[in-house]
Amino acid sequence: MYDIIIIGSGPAGLSAALNAKIRNKSFKLFGNKNLTNKLDKAPMINNYLGFYGMTGREIRAKFEEHIKEMDIQITEERVNNIYSMGDYFAVMVNEKVYETKTVILATGVEYGKQIGGEKEYLGKGVGYCATCDAPLYKGKTVTIIGYNKEAEEEANFVSELAQKVNYLPMYKGDYSLNNKIDIIKDEPVKIIGELKVKKLILKNSEIETDGVFIIRDSLSPSELVPGLKIEDNHVAVNREMETNIPGCFAAGDCIGKPYQYIKAAGEGNIAALSAVKYLNSIKK
Amino acid sequence: MVKEINEKNFESEVLNNNGVVVVDFWANWCGPCKMMAPVLESVSEELKEVSFTKVDVDENGVLADKYEILSIPTLLIFKGGNLVDKLVGFTPKDVLVQVINKNL
Repeated sequence: MYDIIIIGSGPAGLSAALNAKIRNKSFKLFGNKNLTNKLDKAPMINNYLGFYGMTGREIRAKFEEHIKEMDIQITEERVNNIYSMGDYFAVMVNEKVYETKTVILATGVEYGKQIGGEKEYLGKGVGYCATCDAPLYKGKTVTIIGYNKEAEEEANFVSELAQKVNYLPMYKGDYSLNNKIDIIKDEPVKIIGELKVKKLILKNSEIETDGVFIIRDSLSPSELVPGLKIEDNHVAVNREMETNIPGCFAAGDCIGKPYQYIKAAGEGNIAALSAVKYLNSIKK
Repeated sequence: MVKEINEKNFESEVLNNNGVVVVDFWANWCGPCKMMAPVLESVSEELKEVSFTKVDVDENGVLADKYEILSIPTLLIFKGGNLVDKLVGFTPKDVLVQVINKNL
């Protein structure tokens, strides 16, 4: 059982990890070796105290140097879900489960634009895990919007149970789909229905469907942590970076604007210290 | 304790119950349902005045269709036999307790 699991390796996540390390907590940091893609895009950063006139890549080199010096490792695994079990959290990575007493979400905001009606029909025909809910669609029509190759496996699995499967690839390449699946090359615009999903409206046509599964590269925080409170498309937190779920904290771009590095790093610091405070309180 | 119920006794266990009943629609192939189970058990120990039941959607398709269960786990909350709340997907303990308390 870890003390803290941190999701995200941008400035908020790294700063949280730094403070977890300094406070001598057992922790795990999930993220990418390149830290965050956002740093590739910054031509010049002048408002990070002490580091000025630097490109995003130069700042990244400084961040890397710092975490290396502190002996902090980044785990490059994709977290599927985080379940709040009451007195601990279960962090799911495919078949593996990591247990932790606290979680710090520092996922950033790059999780793709939502499709019209997606939120409204979530759980009413819209879902994010086709393999999870496929058996509920026996004899029905399912449409899968896939943003990556992994979505093809989900489509193949569903096609064994559903009566009809449509597949909308949102990427280019060869598709390894079985021949029962209809590939539709078009752009999703809106999901419509009444009490539940009826149709998916595309740019050039529309399809009648009972279910729409959207398989993206990364999940938004509310999909990642079921039950998490969201306000204005960001994770709702207070000044201590506490979310509505005890033991779950959030920091950085995912909690709101301004999307600035130094703000994210500061929040990562608060989140880690709040997590430490929480750990001390549950020990008693 | 969470009681396993089915199409045959749904009416007597849920619809004819005057109190608050939580029904967990689940299946054994569903990962989030497995995580939901211990949370429900734990809440059922704390809220003794509420009845906790579960319906296996594989064996009770009629109920799953009737209540339009399109994603599992789905928790339905009944009060005096009327459906008063619906929670789709894994629900953390605190959120579940809040929703149940609101309906007590």
